Amino acid sequence: MPSVATSAGAILVLQSGLGRFIDPFAQFITDLLNMEAVLLQLLVFGLLLGGVYALTALGLTMIFGVMDVINFAHGIFLVLGMYTVWSVTTTLGINPFIGIPIAAVVLFAVGIGVHVLVVEPIIEAPQQNQLIATLGVLFIIQSGIEIAFSPNPQQINLSLGSLKIGDVFVPLGQFYALLIALGTMLAVRAFLNRTNLGRKIRGTADNRDGARYVGINVPRINYLTFGIGAALAGVAGASIALFQRFDPFTGDIYLINAFVIVILGGLGSFSGAFVGGLMIGLIQVYGGYYLPGTTAQVLIFLLFIGTLLIKPEGLFGGVDV
Amino acid sequence: MSAIETVRESYRLLDDTKFGSIVKGIFLFGLLAALPYLIEVDVAGMELAATLSLKVLILTLIYAYTAQSWNIMSGYTGQFSFGHAAFFGIGAYATQKLVVSFTLNPWIGMLIGGFVAVLYGLIIGFLTFRFKLRGHYFALATLAFAELINVVVTNMSELNAANGYYKPFPRDYGASYGLSAFQFQSDLPYYYLIFGFLVVVTVISWIIKNSWIGLYFFAIREDEQAASSVGVPAFRYKLLGIAISAFFTALGGAYWSMYFNTIRPNTVFALFKNVEILLPAVVGGVGTLLGPIVGSFIVTPVSEIARTSFSGINGLDRIIYGAFLVAIVIYSPNGVISWPERAKKLWNRVRNNKEVTDK
Repeated sequence: MPSVATSAGAILVLQSGLGRFIDPFAQFITDLLNMEAVLLQLLVFGLLLGGVYALTALGLTMIFGVMDVINFAHGIFLVLGMYTVWSVTTTLGINPFIGIPIAAVVLFAVGIGVHVLVVEPIIEAPQQNQLIATLGVLFIIQSGIEIAFSPNPQQINLSLGSLKIGDVFVPLGQFYALLIALGTMLAVRAFLNRTNLGRKIRGTADNRDGARYVGINVPRINYLTFGIGAALAGVAGASIALFQRFDPFTGDIYLINAFVIVILGGLGSFSGAFVGGLMIGLIQVYGGYYLPGTTAQVLIFLLFIGTLLIKPEGLFGGVDV
Repeated sequence: MSAIETVRESYRLLDDTKFGSIVKGIFLFGLLAALPYLIEVDVAGMELAATLSLKVLILTLIYAYTAQSWNIMSGYTGQFSFGHAAFFGIGAYATQKLVVSFTLNPWIGMLIGGFVAVLYGLIIGFLTFRFKLRGHYFALATLAFAELINVVVTNMSELNAANGYYKPFPRDYGASYGLSAFQFQSDLPYYYLIFGFLVVVTVISWIIKNSWIGLYFFAIREDEQAASSVGVPAFRYKLLGIAISAFFTALGGAYWSMYFNTIRPNTVFALFKNVEILLPAVVGGVGTLLGPIVGSFIVTPVSEIARTSFSGINGLDRIIYGAFLVAIVIYSPNGVISWPERAKKLWNRVRNNKEVTDK
């Protein structure tokens, strides 16, 4: 009887399908109840990764919040940061930690250049035009890197080793990257809250027209914001390069995750970006351990869609750039 | 009256009649139908076929077709979708999966894929419209739905995961090369098939535009609140828009899967596929009937010709392509379709200036 066979087959498929979703979570809960040491190790990895993710989203959230532009070139700015720090270390022999501020300066200049040439003329244009223009920038820079440095993966041989606290390993490269991320975030926060220019940027993010009325030079704020956003991407990319291999196409996945973090945390919200970054980092690390393949990314997109639907203003709603 | 003025006059007369746009449409499509032969015509020792092959023409029509489908939703109702690769990929995968696993004829698989895409589109539309997402947020939500299905398919062993499908031979599903098998042994029938697809979607697009549906769509695009207040059921019509658009985009994906030999998640669901689908419409003119076709004839050949002529240095073609995108968006924000209008205005201004200086 083929019908019996097919229905039995259908039940089997259903069971294996469901099991695929339930088993990893059951495994996770068992591990949790047994207080497995691996959980703590994963927590550390997740926090380390999440801190860096938060930094990748910071520049994007600033540009999005202040200028209302979706910058598709953000991912390639990260990659440019990686290659900057890589080339100053390998060709000039400079310490990579000095390379990071160099990456920031280079990307600040690149950001301003891109803004003046591409973004400024279309800042009032419909969003699809902004999208395509920044995408064009992405292609130009990406292929430029490909031609200059070949498409092969590169890495900085730091071999920093790792710290052992109890049973938990803390890879030092990632640890330093996290410290840089935290330091940068605090510095940017102080800049936005304490300095005159920072207040102007926040004012423009709040209300562009209002900012113009009270005499803020909005075009100038725009290009500074774009420059700072790109510089932040440079720092983020440079600190990722401390512990990871990269190629000209690494930026795509960081770009998508940065979008998720920006929406998750709330447009222009720094603390939101930080918490969002940690959440994505933890999901990726735990998901990578318990779920097969890249299924963790499914959870991230579901979280993203859920946030967009239920609270599009983000977990930390409102603007507090 | 000089000859050119006679032509101009009769053209204006044609414009005024009721059937003017139909005549022009038939002329344009006739031109497209003759194109495979036109590119081989020798003009002063040069023929277009040297740079423009039949393959490029097919690719051009595929993207004209998908952009036209995208346009029905995003151009007419103003709901900017950045996730049409989801529908495209669903169409491609449904066709291949049903052919390979159930030896179903690809035409039936294509229709099933179309309906699955409609279902997915309705889910996306229901959620996003219900929660009133708009602007950047709507675009990012559609992108998220597209990336979601990309990752899901990449991880599903039932759909061959990251390996995708290799197109089966017609005899594997009990057919022989020809229209009924959706496979041909040369490129020319493929060209006329996608040409037929394009005619169908353009005619439907034209009917929608000239019916009350189009009126409602445009009302929603211009001011949704005002439209709702005069009784346009905005929610339902936006769902209709996404459903039509998803269906035809999926058919494009099915064609793609039957023309090329392999499909993989990172080709049909790729992040960049979202852009390739909407690009011709944006370049040609969003919300216009001709824009997607004209746009595709600009974007696709440029990309393909750049790829073949700068193959010496890997990546150089993408730099040229990127610069081209930036330039066209900055200098032609309303699409190529507005160029004749702009040229006319410019010409008038020049002429008026001349008259002023003559006096």
